[in-house]
Amino acid sequence: MDMTSKLYIMRNRIRERRAQRGASQAQLAEALGVSRQTINAIETERYTPSLPLAFALAAYFNTTVEDLFLPDEKGDGRVL
Amino acid sequence: MSFDALHSKWFLPGFSVVMGLVMLAAASYGGRTGDGIAMLVVMTVVGAAILLGGRSETIRGLRGDGRDERMALIDLRATAYSGLVLIIVIIGMFIYEIAQGHSGAPYMLLGAVSGISYIAFVVLLRLRG
Repeated sequence: MDMTSKLYIMRNRIRERRAQRGASQAQLAEALGVSRQTINAIETERYTPSLPLAFALAAYFNTTVEDLFLPDEKGDGRVL
Repeated sequence: MSFDALHSKWFLPGFSVVMGLVMLAAASYGGRTGDGIAMLVVMTVVGAAILLGGRSETIRGLRGDGRDERMALIDLRATAYSGLVLIIVIIGMFIYEIAQGHSGAPYMLLGAVSGISYIAFVVLLRLRG
């Protein structure tokens, strides 16, 4: 899995967890101090958050980063 | 200037107006006051558009007050890509100028500054980790 030279995008369960909590993208964005468009980009897997933001997301949903973000089944992920 | 001031929604619009005034002063000094006034008008309109376009994520990202990590990364990549375009144009213009029998100035100097600064930043950023 070459993650060194490419922009690596991971699958995630953010939208699913957000829906379970009944929160909007705007509410989640405000809680984390990012824009709604950033939350949308993460949920649609167009943007992979930084570690601090990933941990903040996990803390918001009272779960772990590993529960929220999923490596690709093939192990090489999608790249931009 | 403080970091917070740079990310104020007033910084970029204010900078645009200041640049317009500098352009007006320079154009007036060169005897082209009319062009200078036009430049000031354009820069003021750009500044106003940036200040008043707050509902747009792009505008807020450019302005600085709506910038999060994703917008910062977009800004960095856009800067890199536009720098690459500029380098290509500089190289192209340099080649064109020397093919015309000219010295290649100022494109040779611009290209040299670009190349040396790129290497310097690679070294610096590598040392910083």
